[in-house]
Amino acid sequence: MSDLEAYRAKAHAWLESMSPKYGREARRGMTVEQELALGREFQALKYEAGYAGINWPKEIGGQGLGHLEKITYDSEEMQFGMPTVFFGISLGMPVPILIRFGQGANGEHNEWVKERVVKALRGEEIWCQLFSEPAGGSDLGGLRTRAEPDGNGWKMNGQKVWTSWAQYCDYGVIVVRTDPTVEKHKGLTYFWVDMKAKGVDVRPIKLAGGDSHVNEVFFDDVRMEDSQRMSPVGGGFGVALTTLMIERYIATDSGGFGPHLDVFTDLVKGLEINGKPALADGRVRSAIARNHAMRGGLDSITKRAFQMMQAGMEPGPEGSLQKLVAVRSRQKLSELAMDLQGNLSLHFDPHAYVKEDWSASWLNAPTGRIAGGSDEVLLNTIAERVLGLPQDHRPDKGVAFNQIPA
Amino acid sequence: MSILYDEGQQAIATESRRVLDARVGKDRLLKLLEQVGEYDQPFWDTAVEQGWTALAIPEEHGGLGLGLVELGLVALATGAATAGAPFLTVGYGAAQALIGSGQADLQAAWLPKLAAGEALATVAFAEGNAPLPPLPTTIFAGGKLSGAKEGVTGGLKADFAIVWAAHEGKPALVLAELKNAARTAVESYDNSRLYADIAFAGAPATLLAEGDSALALARDVLARMAVVTAHEQVGGAEALLYIARDYATTRRAFGQFIGAFQSIKHRISEMYGLVEIARANCIHAAASEGKDNFLIAAADARISATDAYDTNSRDCVQIHGGIGVTWEQGLHLHMRRARSLAVELGNLYYWEDLLVEQLTGVAA
Repeated sequence: MSDLEAYRAKAHAWLESMSPKYGREARRGMTVEQELALGREFQALKYEAGYAGINWPKEIGGQGLGHLEKITYDSEEMQFGMPTVFFGISLGMPVPILIRFGQGANGEHNEWVKERVVKALRGEEIWCQLFSEPAGGSDLGGLRTRAEPDGNGWKMNGQKVWTSWAQYCDYGVIVVRTDPTVEKHKGLTYFWVDMKAKGVDVRPIKLAGGDSHVNEVFFDDVRMEDSQRMSPVGGGFGVALTTLMIERYIATDSGGFGPHLDVFTDLVKGLEINGKPALADGRVRSAIARNHAMRGGLDSITKRAFQMMQAGMEPGPEGSLQKLVAVRSRQKLSELAMDLQGNLSLHFDPHAYVKEDWSASWLNAPTGRIAGGSDEVLLNTIAERVLGLPQDHRPDKGVAFNQIPA
Repeated sequence: MSILYDEGQQAIATESRRVLDARVGKDRLLKLLEQVGEYDQPFWDTAVEQGWTALAIPEEHGGLGLGLVELGLVALATGAATAGAPFLTVGYGAAQALIGSGQADLQAAWLPKLAAGEALATVAFAEGNAPLPPLPTTIFAGGKLSGAKEGVTGGLKADFAIVWAAHEGKPALVLAELKNAARTAVESYDNSRLYADIAFAGAPATLLAEGDSALALARDVLARMAVVTAHEQVGGAEALLYIARDYATTRRAFGQFIGAFQSIKHRISEMYGLVEIARANCIHAAASEGKDNFLIAAADARISATDAYDTNSRDCVQIHGGIGVTWEQGLHLHMRRARSLAVELGNLYYWEDLLVEQLTGVAA
């Protein structure tokens, strides 16, 4: 058994021991608040067991291991449906950036940062990422929240949106406009912000599927010290891109974070079409086969990326296909599963688990095609970065931000 | 399982690409389209000279003793070049049928010749529109073969064929020399595939396998050929991806390169996605040779590669506009090959049904 397989086996055994209390089954019917409380408990145990901050330096509270161990653990954890969703963004982007660039409000660095990191790893504190705005999602550089010099610090006003878990967060990282008279990407600056500060107002947004994990966040004359600044003035866009690049190698799911294909075939086995087994229907067989071939390809891409990392090589750009291909296929397969059940599919449980329930999967699928890079942005990225196709016509290029027609 | 190519395999990939770039040309391939009964002889001479015919034949029979991974890499290169000879795949299938039959005398008689390129072989499994009919109408009895096989790939020039036939009410695989059969050329949209309708009227034949073992062997051989072909399809699909990309970065319209328009660039990104998914399936399938999940892996590769090559042919032509449909520009070489390969190794209906049968245990 290789070291990595031994690591996987040990992680699996530990997760199995945690599962009766924290796993998906144990949490059926719980409210979000109950799940969060349980999630914080689990996160603390995970820290004690050495599975938090797996690939972060030991000096800062991590385990000092590599990407491979991190992905290995994550793919095991995913199978148990542990209540870690609240901490995914926090530990995925804002906290790693804090480790690189952050300091306390009074300029203190190491101890303050380390305290934040350990509290975040233990689930005691949560960080959010305040990037998207009503005027800037895919076009992040179009954001309008502004910070103006205020004595020796800054004063911030504006609005962010789609901020995951902001209602439970203690801190956030934020990109704001500090100079509207220069080109859009050049007038941005990166800060951290205290989410409990005066003038911060978090309002949950109820999504189509019924849950409210995203928020609008309003800033009304919010005071920030200059030591909260994490980029040079005007250098915020670069740090934002760095933030988005941190999680390059993540555990993927060829099911698009919806039900796996065997859930579909199990459903089909119990159904008939025109009095004959649904599994004998060519349309159904074709859908199963096409999905299997597609998901099999994505799984093989993942395995090869993993093998490349093990061999000390950089995985190929084909990994960027995962989210694009998997989520939209999940959306269609979910529709098909509902069609197959006919009127029986009209029953809807707003608390059902998206990896088990086709209606929940269907209703929540659009979020997966939009959040974290929309399908269209991903296609542009592949075209421009991988295949070398030219950028779109960009009327905002070389124009001062305040001169761009709104 | 999946693998990273080792140095030897990478060398096969680069070398085969280099040789084909130098020796296969569009003009010759275009001429072949209008000639019934001819194939790309210079390509086949190259294949023999390079040892591609010997790649997957065991060393004791004069081969190199390599496998599907290596043959797949050559097929990737031939697919990119739309190189015009079918025997790399169907000859390999016939050799695998002989190996799987366990019949030492037939192996000794034919495998060294196949390895050296001195004999050409094919498989004739399909009847009518069925790639592998449950009980074929071609009958093997008393050492003689009678019946008809339509559109046999390479059938016009092959010395022998591995034939799917019925023997005493059970399916069987037999070897028949084609000099004893009546062959009619099929005039096709992809003539260098050498399609023939073959009629056997009491032709001498030798039994290789029958009953369940014949079915298992036929499926295995078809799956192996499908994996080679899937590589060929990926090679073609990838070539089309880059032809489209190159055109979109040189052709201007409305004051900019057409590749800047999202309607074009997104289409090309989708082409990339199809290629990479199919490629990953191909690598996985080739590395799964001889394993329990081989049929599933082969079906995944076959389905995704067929989709990739068909779609990329369609879309590459579309991105070119009018120039894309001219004879001289030659994109139709890929269009034609995408279709001939989609049909030859069992259509998608066959592979989808087989895959679902393997996954669920329920036959179509």
